[in-house]
Amino acid sequence: MAAPRNNNSSCWGVPDVYKHHEQKKICISRPKYRDGRRDRAVKVYTINLESNYLMIQGVPAIGVMTELIQLCALYGAVEEYRPLDEYPAEEFTEVYLVKFQKLTSARAAKRRMDEKSFYGGLLHVCYVPEYETVEDTRLKLQDRRRYIIRAVRNKAREKEQKEAVNEKPTSSEKATTSETEYHYYRHGNPHWTIPTEDKMGTLHNAIIDTKRLEPQSSSSCQASLDKDRGTEQRLTLNQAPAAVRFVPRTTHLENRKRRMEEAADHSLTDVTINNEPLIGPKLPEPPKLDMEDVSLNTTANLIRNTLKKVESVPDLKPVEKKVKPRRRI
Amino acid sequence: MWKKDSSEGSDRFEYLQTLVTEFQDTDSEEAKEQVLANLANFAYDPNNMENLRELQVPDLFLDMLTEDNANFVEFGMGGLCNLSMDPECRDVILQSNGISLVTNCLSNQREETVLSAITTLMNLTTPSSRAEITDPAILQCMLRFSLSESPRLRSLAAVFLQDCCSQEQVARAEQQMQGQQTAVGIPLPKDD
Repeated sequence: MAAPRNNNSSCWGVPDVYKHHEQKKICISRPKYRDGRRDRAVKVYTINLESNYLMIQGVPAIGVMTELIQLCALYGAVEEYRPLDEYPAEEFTEVYLVKFQKLTSARAAKRRMDEKSFYGGLLHVCYVPEYETVEDTRLKLQDRRRYIIRAVRNKAREKEQKEAVNEKPTSSEKATTSETEYHYYRHGNPHWTIPTEDKMGTLHNAIIDTKRLEPQSSSSCQASLDKDRGTEQRLTLNQAPAAVRFVPRTTHLENRKRRMEEAADHSLTDVTINNEPLIGPKLPEPPKLDMEDVSLNTTANLIRNTLKKVESVPDLKPVEKKVKPRRRI
Repeated sequence: MWKKDSSEGSDRFEYLQTLVTEFQDTDSEEAKEQVLANLANFAYDPNNMENLRELQVPDLFLDMLTEDNANFVEFGMGGLCNLSMDPECRDVILQSNGISLVTNCLSNQREETVLSAITTLMNLTTPSSRAEITDPAILQCMLRFSLSESPRLRSLAAVFLQDCCSQEQVARAEQQMQGQQTAVGIPLPKDD
């Protein structure tokens, strides 16, 4: 990793605080027709601002570096990481530098982790392209160019196909359109674009490996992330990235129930209090909290054991509930 | 309720058109900045590039480069940086005297604007435009940038010099710079 050069010739000099690290003020004056889903500042993203290097500020200084990196790893392979002790940080917080293998992973991680709660602290995640080497920058630009050319070419092909199909209206039209939706994101793995643009165009397409990422799997990390439930449900259900379909509420509930039942069958982790479906790499059990007092620790252990016993009871007495499809009145 | 495919594509087109219209009609600088930033961000997605081309947004961005408002210039330059990755948009920009307008942004005070300008010049490099883009004045500018304290500026300038021109061209530019007694030409942008 290249460190930013500054006036001190020593590599231990304090890294510069650049303007693009700072959070800008949220814009409150947007007319409704172009107001986005989230409050945002007025900012333009170019390939220069983005990077596979992220800086994460606001991490509580309670020894949760491992948990932080585990969380990052949900979005893609992490090549390197280190604490940025020399970067100015708020009291009781730490700053980390994380290098992702791919820009798309960094993009997804930034989107999902920025402004989210993490072990009681509020994370601020930003790109730090100044840590790139010349080669990093060159590859970044090359990848970007290649992606654009491929996407544009595929779009043109889509258009031609559509025009050809329109000339002979048959039922094959549906097949064509659903096939081409995944067209330009194929890398041999089934990739899946999440519809990210809102009316401000500020959410860029994050290309995410479906094998690794399911937004709800963050719960397996025991990180208390505030999640936009509505959006994520829509994302997981919606197989057509470009179309936002209206799905009735009953279907949402039934789907969620079905997924939970399936996940319970395929459960990989030890039984914890967690009922969320676990998808993603199996993570080690989080360390038990040490309350630095013998009696408190004993109490905690007793409670934990009791809870485990309580959870195991349903196995002995299976309660069969009749699943009635809910009716909307 | 959203309609599928073709009508959805035209929904997007209509929305972009509304943005462009607001930009042209509004008197509020603040609203213009917001809309400009929106358009520049939409330009990041290849799905929108054709629509933006039809709406003549490349020209809109180019017009921003000569504005007094520094945000207009920065957002316009960012939009061009995004659009110029697409070969067809690139050609539109080249035909509208883009190289000279973008080159002027190399002397901008804002680092983001300069970075966008360097990247755009790289995107605009084609066999026919290469001679104009590797003009000695531009190369000297890039050489100065490659000595900057800003790591991003250094890296981008280095990539430009390595990818867009030959070693002989760079060497010649270096010699010319050493021959100059006074600092002439394009000043470095202010540090953030």
